[in-house]
Amino acid sequence: MEILHMIFIAPFLDMAALPDLFFQGLWDGFVGGTLYALLALGFVLIFKASGVFNFSQPILMVLAALALVSFYEMGINPWISVALVLVMMYVLAFGVERLILRNLVNQDGNILFMSTIGLTFVIIGSAQWIFGGVPSSMIHAELGFPVGSSEMPMFGGAVYFEHIDISAAVLASILIGILAIFFSKTKIGRGLRAVADDHQAALSVGISLNQIWVIVWFVAGIVALVGGIFWGARSDVSFALQIIGLKALPVLIIGGFTSVPGAICGGLIIGLGEKIFEIYWGPMMGGSVEGWFAYVIALVFLLFKPQGLFGEKIIERV
Amino acid sequence: MNEKAPKIMMEVKNINLRFGGVVAIQGVSFDIHEGEIRAIIGPNGAGKSSMLNVINGFYHPQEGEIWFDGQKRPSMEPYEVAKTGIARTFQNIALFKGMTTIENVMTGRQLQMNKNIFWQMLRYGPAIEEEVQHRKRCEEIIDFLEINHIRKTPVGSLPYGLQKRVELARALAMEPNLLLLDEPMAGMNVEEKQDMSRFIVEVNEEFGTTIALIEHDMAVVMDLADRVVVLDYGKLLADGTPKEVQSNQAVIDAYLGVPH
Repeated sequence: MEILHMIFIAPFLDMAALPDLFFQGLWDGFVGGTLYALLALGFVLIFKASGVFNFSQPILMVLAALALVSFYEMGINPWISVALVLVMMYVLAFGVERLILRNLVNQDGNILFMSTIGLTFVIIGSAQWIFGGVPSSMIHAELGFPVGSSEMPMFGGAVYFEHIDISAAVLASILIGILAIFFSKTKIGRGLRAVADDHQAALSVGISLNQIWVIVWFVAGIVALVGGIFWGARSDVSFALQIIGLKALPVLIIGGFTSVPGAICGGLIIGLGEKIFEIYWGPMMGGSVEGWFAYVIALVFLLFKPQGLFGEKIIERV
Repeated sequence: MNEKAPKIMMEVKNINLRFGGVVAIQGVSFDIHEGEIRAIIGPNGAGKSSMLNVINGFYHPQEGEIWFDGQKRPSMEPYEVAKTGIARTFQNIALFKGMTTIENVMTGRQLQMNKNIFWQMLRYGPAIEEEVQHRKRCEEIIDFLEINHIRKTPVGSLPYGLQKRVELARALAMEPNLLLLDEPMAGMNVEEKQDMSRFIVEVNEEFGTTIALIEHDMAVVMDLADRVVVLDYGKLLADGTPKEVQSNQAVIDAYLGVPH
């Protein structure tokens, strides 16, 4: 009885007893959620355009963040550094298309997936070689994002809002909105879906695979940069960010691999879920449950709704 | 056929296509007149689909020239060929299975949509007008091919015969000058074949679209085609009207007359 009370009743009593703490958890979870959603969108973008789970998306984020900090440390103006990183991401997108994807047209999805794993290690190696592996801190303050925090009295207590978190949530939401419209309303969006579905057919209606791939990899690079700036600001800039990047995987399992609304909902579910679980259920398990709880949620979804909340139902004719 | 000298729309000259040591097409030349229905026939492995893939840009022949609209065509990628007004369907249906019928057909308009992407994102002004106009054209094609009832159905769940028709609709949405059909009636029952034949003739007559098609059913070919090319083992065996081809001894030996 004791244990049932601990799991099913005590946490909710705690929530009711200290509503300000609960709200703090919700806010932190929400910010994390929007950033997860943004990361997941990077995956969705490439998955939609080539039917490939891009394993190298997290390392793209690390690369963007590392490069940004390194350029700044070389004494370059922070905003010019951002521009340089964007140029670098474009060159990378172009190179990936030229050297990898172009040669794999019409190949099985698994082969493309393997190639992104290979790409991951190439990027890890070259990023360490060029930028070094020493963790450094993000330059968000130099970029003009507000630092510090405000305290708001609420529910008889106070809730803290980190200013960088507010910027992160706002900017991530705007970017997600733009991407969502880009996917669903534009000619390129339709082209993306066509390419993901059938390479040959897409070519036959005049869609250039090469062009589409460069576009999506570049946009994925932009998403990686924004994600890198804010995740970098929340921890520090190092290769450990990869682990956070991979959290997009449970987000995608929940939301469905091809769905933009799915990525948003999945991101929020993971963000809120892991934060609340950490605060109220974490202590009884010795804390630090945030690292793995997302995967538990994903596992539950895999059991009961494997195509995700918004995923396309796969119709196979036999 | 009328008396005027026919205008040559496309001409392939001395095409040689090899895959490693395998010779797929060997010194084949023929032409396609504007406005005609041109059939390419031959036994399995004769190089018919390869020929279509050469015209369409999927394969690049080691030797030979392709002339289109009176000009020699440089080596092109399939999406570039599509821009020159050549549409096609595939032997093993290549549809966007996750999309509905109307969405599939709309992809055929991809090349004609040129309005600025920012207008498209805002769903405003010229872009919305453009979308509406293309949508209308697609609905007309869907009406024409009598697939109205499946407009909103994801094509992956449709029966084979209807999928073939959706594929034709997508190709027609491109408003091509030259339409390549790779076995448009393969795997269909008699009724479906009759429907498809009717559509092909109507497309040819009403839209004036030039059509090159590969087909196995000889009765269909003899009915539909203005002229027929016969391939065998990658070589040109005969070229002429259905009657001429039918009475050609080499063709009879290679294909028509072989008892099963």
